[in-house]
This record gives sequence, C-alpha cells and structure tokens, in this order.
Amino acid sequence: MLSPERLALPDYEYLAQRHVLTYMEDAVCQLLENREDISQYGIARFFTEYFNSVCQGTHILFREFSFIQATPHNRASFLRAFWRCFRTVGKNGDLLTMKEYHCLLQLLCPDFPLELTQKAARIVLMDDAMDCLMSFSDFLFAFQIQFYYSEFLDSVAAIYQDLLSGKNPNTVIVPTSSSGQHRQRQVLGEASMEGVEASLFYQCLENLCDRHKYSCPPPALVKEVLSNVQRLTFYGFLVALSKHHGINQALGALPDKGDLMHDPAMDEELERLLVQVPGLVNSVTASPEASCLPSRTPPRVGSPWRPLHHSRKVDAESDGSTEETDESET
Amino acid sequence: MIPGKYRSVSGRATNNVNCGLHLVIQTSSLPEKNKVEFKLNKETPSFPGRLLQHDLERNYSSRQGDHINLVSSSMPSFPILQRSSEEKILYSDRLTLERQKLTVCPIIDGEEHLRLLNFQHNFITRIQNISNLQRLIFLDLYDNQIEEISGLSTLRSLRVLLLGKNRIKKISNLENLKSLDVLDLHGNQITKIENVNHLCDLRVLNLARNLLSHVDNLNGLDSLTELNLRHNQITFVRDVDNLPCLQRLFLSFNNISSFDNVSCLADSASLSDITFDGNPIAQESWYKHTVLQNMMQLRQLDMKRITEEERRMASILAKKEEEKKRESHKQSLLKEKKRLTINNVARKWDLQQRVANIATTQDRKDSDSPSQDPCQIDGSTISASPEETGSLDAGLTSALQGLAVIDSHLVEVDGDTLSLYGSGALESLDRNWSAQTAGMVTTVSFTFIEFDEIVQVLPKLKIKFPNSLHLKFKETNLVMLQQFNALAQLRRIDQLTIDPQGNPVVNFTLWKYYVLFRLSHFSMQKINGTEVTQNDMIMAERLFGILAHVASSELPQYRLISILGDARKKQFRYLLETKGKKPGIVNEENNDSKRLVGENTNRATLNYTTRDFYNEKLEEIKEKKKFCKMYIEDLVKEATEINMKNEALQKLWPQMFIELVRDAVIEIRNKNSYMKLCLQQITDQK
Repeated sequence: MLSPERLALPDYEYLAQRHVLTYMEDAVCQLLENREDISQYGIARFFTEYFNSVCQGTHILFREFSFIQATPHNRASFLRAFWRCFRTVGKNGDLLTMKEYHCLLQLLCPDFPLELTQKAARIVLMDDAMDCLMSFSDFLFAFQIQFYYSEFLDSVAAIYQDLLSGKNPNTVIVPTSSSGQHRQRQVLGEASMEGVEASLFYQCLENLCDRHKYSCPPPALVKEVLSNVQRLTFYGFLVALSKHHGINQALGALPDKGDLMHDPAMDEELERLLVQVPGLVNSVTASPEASCLPSRTPPRVGSPWRPLHHSRKVDAESDGSTEETDESET
Repeated sequence: MIPGKYRSVSGRATNNVNCGLHLVIQTSSLPEKNKVEFKLNKETPSFPGRLLQHDLERNYSSRQGDHINLVSSSMPSFPILQRSSEEKILYSDRLTLERQKLTVCPIIDGEEHLRLLNFQHNFITRIQNISNLQRLIFLDLYDNQIEEISGLSTLRSLRVLLLGKNRIKKISNLENLKSLDVLDLHGNQITKIENVNHLCDLRVLNLARNLLSHVDNLNGLDSLTELNLRHNQITFVRDVDNLPCLQRLFLSFNNISSFDNVSCLADSASLSDITFDGNPIAQESWYKHTVLQNMMQLRQLDMKRITEEERRMASILAKKEEEKKRESHKQSLLKEKKRLTINNVARKWDLQQRVANIATTQDRKDSDSPSQDPCQIDGSTISASPEETGSLDAGLTSALQGLAVIDSHLVEVDGDTLSLYGSGALESLDRNWSAQTAGMVTTVSFTFIEFDEIVQVLPKLKIKFPNSLHLKFKETNLVMLQQFNALAQLRRIDQLTIDPQGNPVVNFTLWKYYVLFRLSHFSMQKINGTEVTQNDMIMAERLFGILAHVASSELPQYRLISILGDARKKQFRYLLETKGKKPGIVNEENNDSKRLVGENTNRATLNYTTRDFYNEKLEEIKEKKKFCKMYIEDLVKEATEINMKNEALQKLWPQMFIELVRDAVIEIRNKNSYMKLCLQQITDQK
C-alpha cells in the first residue's frame, strides 16, 4: 500500500492512471440510466455484476464507442469479444471486404467509426486496393494493432512523415547528439529511397514510448521488429507489428495466430445451439451432454486470457498493518 | 340478261325536264336485225341479279325502227346521214344508229329538231359533227372508242350523256352542259373527278369501272342523287357531305379499309343507301355496327334493309367499344401518371443521396480540419447536417425544393401488393384501410424510402396489414447488417426481397445468413427468390450462433433488462398512442409481444436503433455522464482527503503515542500527588 511509486503520484492521478475512475463513473451512470430496473434487485448486486463483467471483459458489449475506447482494458476486451463472436466467420473461410468487417464491428458497437476499420484495412492491404477481400485472421491482427495502439500509431505516422521529409524530430531530444547529427545528414541524403532507416526510426519510437501517456507496445519488442531490417516503410512496420507474436501476447487479448480458430468452450455451445435449429433431423455431433461442462453456466473460467492492467487483485497486496485501513471499507 | 325493271327515283324528283322523256330498259332481245331500238345497255351483265345504278324509263315501245340510209357524202371522211321524210315525220326527235360499224360520227343534216341520238356499239373515236343538233337532249355513245370528251360544247340542252365503255381518260369539256341530268362514264379510264362542279342539275353520275383512287372535288353538284363508284380503286372519300341531295352511294369493290377514310359520309344527312361490299372494310368485325352507328340516317346497307334490331345491336356494340376505349385511355393516363410520379420520386431520392454523400464527406473533412467554418443553408427541405458548405449544396437544395411541388410520393394497392414509393407514402399507413383491402395485402414493397424511416412505421404495418408476409425493399439504403434486426419486431415474414439496386448490404457475403440467423423465428421460406434450405439455416446458426449466445448469456442481468426494456418500451409507447382508437387490439398486442419475447431471448438483445435515435440517446446521456463525473470527483476528493488524513495520522501516530505514554508516565511518577490529583478531579466533577 505504501509502495514508493504509488506515493509518487497524487491520489487523483493515480486513480486516473489506473482508470478506476472511468469505471466508477460508468457504473454510476449505468445505475442512473436503469434505476427502475436495478432498484428491483439491489444496488450491491448491480455493482457486483458490473465489476464482474468488467473483469470478464463483457462490459463493452453493445456499448457506445466512446466507452469502448476509453481504457486499454476496454479495448482489449472488445477485441476479445469480437474474436469470440466472429471466430466462426473466420473458421468458415470467408473472405470479406472492409465494409463487411465494419458491419460486423457495428453489430457489437453501433457507432464504431469507419476510419478505424479503414486504417486497419490499410495495414492488411498495404494501402492498396481498398476493396480487396481480407481473411479473418489478417484483419483481426491488424485491427488489434490499429485499435489498441491507435494514438501511438498516429504519432508514429507523424514521425515517419517527418523522417521521410528529412526532418529529424529527435535532434533536440536525443542525448547522444553527435550521433544524431551524423544520422541527420545521412537521412537527408537517403530521403529519396523508400522508407526510413530502421535504427533511426527506432530511436524516435523509443523516445515516443517514454513520453507517451497512451499505451505503447513494449519497446523491447519494437526493437526486435526493427532490428531485422535495414529500412522499412510505415505500413511495412505496421504489418510487422501485427504479425509479431510477442506483441500479441503482451496485449493478451487474442490467442496466437495458430490457435485463432480454436475455442473449445464456444464450439461446444455452438453444437448445442445447432441441435436446436428448428426442423433439424440429425443431431450434428455426438451427444454434447456427455461433455464435462455443465449446461448453461456462462463460461467464467477456462479462457487463457487474463486482464493485463488489472492483474493485481486487491487482497494480493495486503501488508501487515491493515487494521486501520479496514475502516475505510465500511 | 338484265332482270327486272326499276322505277326511277327521279320520277319523284322535281328537276325533271318537261320534255317528258322517259326511257325504259329493254328486257327482251332485239327482235329484228334492221330494227334499231333504243336500247340502253347499262352495267355489264357480270352482275348476276345485282342492282342497276340508275334507271331511265322510256315509254317509247321498241316497236319502231328507223330506216336509215347512210350515204357517202361529198366530204371524204364523213358519211352523211339521210332519212326518209316519213321517218323524219314519225320519229322527228330521235335517231338510232347503233351497231352501224361507224368509225366516225356522220354528218346529220336537216335534223335540227333531233332530241335523242343513239350511237351505241360502234367504233367511233371522236365525237364530231353533232354541233348543229342544238336541241339534243339525249346522247348515247355507249360502247365506242372515244378517247376524249369533246364536240359537245353546243349541246346546251343535253340532259343525258351516256359515254360508258369507251376509252376516256379525263372528264373535260362539259362546261356548257349545264342542264345535264345523267352522266354515265362507266367503263372508262378516268383517274380523277374534275370539271363537273358546274353541273348543278346532275342527278345521276356513274363512274363505275374507272381508275379512280379517291373521291373529292364534288362540290357544286347540288342535285346529285346517285353516285356510282363501283369497281374503282378508291381508298378514301371526301366532299360527299357537300352533296345536299345524295341518297345513294355505291362504293362496292374498292379499296376502302377504314371508316375514317370515308368519315364525310357520316356528315351527309341525305344518304340513305350505301354499299361497301367488296372493300376490305367489309371484312372487319366492327364493320357493320361502325357504319350503322356512324350513319344513323341509313336505310339500306349493301342493298339490304337495316332493321331496328340491327340498329340496336350496332349502338350497343358501339357503346361498348367506346367504353373500352375510354377505359384503356384512363388506364394509360393512370399508368403515365404513375410513371411520372415514380420518376419524380426517384429523382428526389437521387438528389437526397447525393446531398447526403456530400454531407458525409464534408463531415469527415470537417473532423480532420476543424478550422472550417460551418455555414447554414436556410429553408433546406432535406434533413442534411447543417455543416454543409459551398455553393454546390445550395444548388442541389434549390433543385430539391422545386421538385417538391409535383407529386412526391405514390401509394398503390394492386390486389395483394401494397407499393409505396417515396417517404411521403409512409403516411398513408395511417389511412383508414377497409378490412377487406388490408386483409388481402400479402406483399408490401418499399421503394425510394430510407430504411430508417421504414423502421419507425413497422409497428403500424404490423397492425394495419396483418397478412403481409412478403417484404420487398428497393432503393432503401440498407447498408448495415444491423438494420435487419429491426425486422424482428414484425409478426411474421415468409419472404424477403432485397433488391441490389440502392441497397449496398446485398454486396456483403454474409448478409443472407445474418438475416436467416436474426429472423430465424420466422422460418422464412425465400430470400430474394431463392428457397431457404436446411443447410442455409445451419450455416447461419454456425456463423452467428455464438454471437447470440454471447449477447444473451454473457451480458449482465441489468443490461439484458435495459436492452429488452427499451424495445418493449417502444412497443408500448406506440400501443398507448393507438389505444384510444382500437382498444380491442391492444390486448392482442400484449399477448403477441409476450409471446415474441419468450420465443427468442437469445437474439432479442440484437436490436437496431436508427442513427438519429442513437445520437439522441447519447445526447441525453451526456447530462447524466457529467453528473456522474462530478459525483465521482466529489467522492474521490472525499476519499483522498480521508486517505491523506489517514496517511498523516500514520506518520504522526508513533510520535503521538510516545507523547501520550510519556505524559501518562510523568503523571503517575509521583504516586501521592497523582492520587491527590485524581481525587480532586472527582470532587471537581460534582
């Protein structure tokens, strides 16, 4: 409780950084909107359900875009929900256009903006032929990068443009000024070649990560991405990001590419639903009752996903002298 | 042989000459060779039993003959005719020279009183040498070889001129024959009616078996009673209404094919007898009653009396035709109006779409560069966003206003289909539809209407047209799969047709499966004409089943209630509005909605709110959000204050504790003084 980093920030900012306030505000707002319905079964239960759903990642279903975008956890939950709901589409092998993917997104979030989907599509298609069909996995991973790190990517785009045009935004900031100046002269000469130099690019990104208040991919992994190539274009960089396993795992929302189509729990549910299709004579699979999962409990366990930013539960931090702090819980 | 006798109608006429000339048709053959009778050979006998045109009676018997002597004259070409004086006295006014093998007209001397001259059956090529016979009344040149009418200019008294069966090509040189009563030119090669306009006493005109192709130029023939035009090539007839006395008109065996070509006949009040047989028109099914209907004055058609029955039939049939024509005219008018209205609606729709596109692209531009100043367009009739800029939009909106003046929507019920064009048509659902009409409607078709607007009237549709099973959408701007969620509120849909035109959603690969999935409780049979198979249903479930599962089981309870509550609230609101009008139905609706909700809670959370409603809702929530934010801030402030105080206490507590202990120890160090102090405190308290 009294760890130094906690005390470094004033209380309000600490809470804000952990997005606790976002959830509190949203909870109270939801309570206000639905008070007639909620008053039927009690406020305590409401809060329980609310925060449970936040933990499970179901709180973002059918919510407005501003809420979904509000915290990294929300974004990750949304990605995960999208994956779970439409994994079957990918499994079916259909290739869809950007507009259709956008439609699917809108099924979960009615006011999802088209620009984000377009940007994601651009990553997959390398900014070319925007009407092309895309596979589910390609789109999903690109969308993940675009949506989760959208502010970061905007800044990266700006940096890239600067580097392309020869300006090095880091000449002021980079501590090793001599090497920076060398690099700058080099960049001027190389501006006509495609893309930017990887190492210079990385330096700029590193600085960006340090001072950026939005979430960024772990710098070590970014370095890994950039170390493999000499030069790279903006979309090349993004594609590399989207396909990088490490970044995917660091995000923690989606399974690995190889496992993308696997979700045994949901598949079981699906089989059960298929049996109920009216008029269906043969049951599709062998008796689903034989499986060990109980029939209608919502799957609270079993998913390998754990929320990244809120992994530390409250009771894991108990110190010795908590008798006095217990008073605040009343 | 020529059959019977026919009385001359002219016997009743008043314009007969007072010379008392009547000619009778000979029925018997020539008795003797030398006896020359007056014979009037009329129509060729190729008309077995058929009628004769005009008849001239003669009351002179055929007993007489004339002895004639043809003496060669001093002039080389022309013989001179002389008669014995007794014959001259007996038959002073007539002379018969038929079948005399004459090739020229002989000079006739001393016969200035001659009134009747007969040159039938000769070979005369030119009319000559008769100029002196100025009393001539009757001239018969039938069956000769005359090629031109001439030499008649002095015969001012001529009444009957028979030039049938010659080779005359042109009617001419008749100027002085103002008394002409009968003119017979049948069997010639005449192509045109001309130069007869001065013959105001002419009663009978026979132009049969000529080469006439049309009939006109008949004005001036004020006495004409009979006009024979059989066996020509006539295609149309004019000017007949200028003949005030015309009673009989024979047009058999010509080329008349439509009554319009002889329309002047209808205007002739005097016509009582007409023949059309042998014309193409007589083969038509409408021939008889059209003629009868148009020529009410007729007494005989094709030589048959017209009975009352026929007249009645004709008028009935003609009325029916009139009706039919009027009906079809009305139909085509209606169709035209419909077409124009639909075009108008389409144009309006087009403009709207274009303006909306401009608005959205500018919206995006605006969001990128917020420095643009939005300017408003006043009096805009479209629901575009007020952030439009530029003159292009002004032009479009003014065009749109211009269109609004004409009919801007169309509602049509055609048996079992209700068609709505244009958004104004949606208001027609409020009309009082008769139960029969409404019950018959099984298909509802929407064109040129925004889907979002349709969504709002779906409850009305459900109530007013309960048997509608097939919905068709064309040019309705269906762009999202979500929009299909709105159709779930209907009672039942068997068939759905989404026309690709104007509905981009059809371009999606998965749209059909989504429809089947979301509207699975309808058990639809056909989508866009193709049957729905079991495999389709399975595929739909396979693709989207998890979505439904997630939407129902993973939502927290309160969210479920709130989402479902919204949908039900909307239904109830509408029902409350209509409650006053139809109380009976409200109960039905209640049961209905309960049943529906029970059917598919799985998917019921998948709703569609139109963009406007959605934005409205978000706007409403903003206030609440602000309040929540402030409230939480207050809470946080309180909490942080308490926390701070807590932490401060934490820091200070050891020191405070030590001081407390020290104070206590100092107090108790001297036992005696402490006991005294305590006692004193107790007494003080009292």
